[in-house]
Parts: sequence; C-alpha cells; structure tokens
Amino acid sequence: MTDTFDAAAPLSHRPSAPRPATPLPKLVAIGLLGGLLSGLLGVGGGTVMVPLLVFWAGYAQRDAHATSLGAIIPISIVSAATLGSGAHIDVRAAVFLTLGAVVGARVGAKALVGADDRKLQWLFGCFLLLAAVLMLVQG
Amino acid sequence: MSAVLIAAGILAFGLCTGMLSGILGIGGGTFMVPFMVLALGIGQHAAEATSLLVVLPTSVVATFVLARRGAVDVRRSLQLGLMGAAGGVAGALIALALPADALRRVFGLFMLIVAARMLHGLWKTRGQAGHA
Repeated sequence: MTDTFDAAAPLSHRPSAPRPATPLPKLVAIGLLGGLLSGLLGVGGGTVMVPLLVFWAGYAQRDAHATSLGAIIPISIVSAATLGSGAHIDVRAAVFLTLGAVVGARVGAKALVGADDRKLQWLFGCFLLLAAVLMLVQG
Repeated sequence: MSAVLIAAGILAFGLCTGMLSGILGIGGGTFMVPFMVLALGIGQHAAEATSLLVVLPTSVVATFVLARRGAVDVRRSLQLGLMGAAGGVAGALIALALPADALRRVFGLFMLIVAARMLHGLWKTRGQAGHA
C-alpha cells in the first residue's frame, strides 16, 4: 500500500488508502471551502469536496469519493441541527428514503471499493454536469 | 394512487439514491431534494431538512462498509468533515446577506466548466487507459 495513485495511472483493483502525503492544512482548506460553498448554495458537500480533493489535493478519484462520504457525517449532523431544528420534517419521506438509501449505500460503497478510477471519473463527470444543470435551472 | 404504491416509489428512489451516493461519494441531497419537491410536493425547506436526515445514515453506512475494507482513512475523513461543518455554518450565515440566485448561477457555471473539462479529458484519452 505504499504506491501512490494518480488519475492517469494504470488501474488497480485493490482498495487503496487515501494518500497519507496530503498535507493537513490543504485538507482543512478544502473542508472549509467545501462547507462554505455548500452552506452558501445548499448543495451537498460531496459535490464540492470531491472535485477539490481530486484536482487540488491530488487524491485518486476513488479515494476522494471514500473520503467525502466520511466527511459528510459531521457535516450533515451540524447542518441537520442548524437547519432542521425549526423545519418541518416529512416523516413518511424520511423513513422510506432512509430504508432504501441505507440498503443502496451498502451496494454503492461495495462497488466503490473495486471500481476503477476512469469509470468513476466518467460517472462523477456526468453527475457534476447534471448537478450543474439542475443548479442553473433553479437559479 | 394508493399509499402503499407511493411508499414503494419513495423506497425505490431511496435505493437508487443510496447506490449513487455510495459510489459517487456524495450525500444524495442533489437527487432527493428535487424529488421531494417535484414528485412529493414537499416544500423546499422541509425537503432540505428531511434530506439531511436521510444523508446522515446513508453516509454512516457507506463509511462503515469502506472502513471495514480498509478503503478509507476515517480519521482524515472526519477531520475534513468537521472543517466542512464549520465552513457550512459560515456559508449559511453569509448566504443570508448575499444574492443567492447570482451565486447559484456563477457556481453552476463553474461546475459546468469543471464537468465539461473532466469529460472532455476522459474522451480525448479514451482507449489509452486499460479498461474495456
């Protein structure tokens, strides 16, 4: 697990740990920036953090996805506490979406472990395009 | 439409969103909020708050799966997330003082450019990397 990954490198199907070389200040900056944009615009943290981790911190695509998922945990706790405290929660939607999403997340995360970076880049690129269009249409 | 059918529809949508979230490394709010607003007729604020409640267990489960396979540095992840949470609170406060629509358009355009560059780069180098 000492080899470094970059987006153009030949594929490896082994799970890879995030690059330990990424300096903490950069991670702090990405977290703050990602959170700031996400709070400012109401987009999910991952949409902002994944591209920053890949293009700025030099994470492999798969490591960026994995790291982003963990980062979403504290972000969603704080956001839910801030935004959700006064808001009405639709219980039916929350319960059934959660039941589905939890099962889906297991499948998705397992697929992520073995996925190759190029395919992930295609998938994320398409997602980002869709998210951008959704944002522009709303705006 | 019967209540059971609606529930099944929500469940199916949750399943798809969860899968995409797990593989894309996102929370899923990007998909769930429009779904709740447009398909279920839930108000924007309620949809956002509800989506956050779904995002939390989704990301916990995905991270658990990844951690068990050694595919994520959980400590690093959580550190990043704590910074993100702090930035998020600041962003939400700033958003109150700024024209949200203009910001949204600028950032949407930026995302569009990033996505286009990413896909263009992949298209240009297709066949060079060893995948089917």
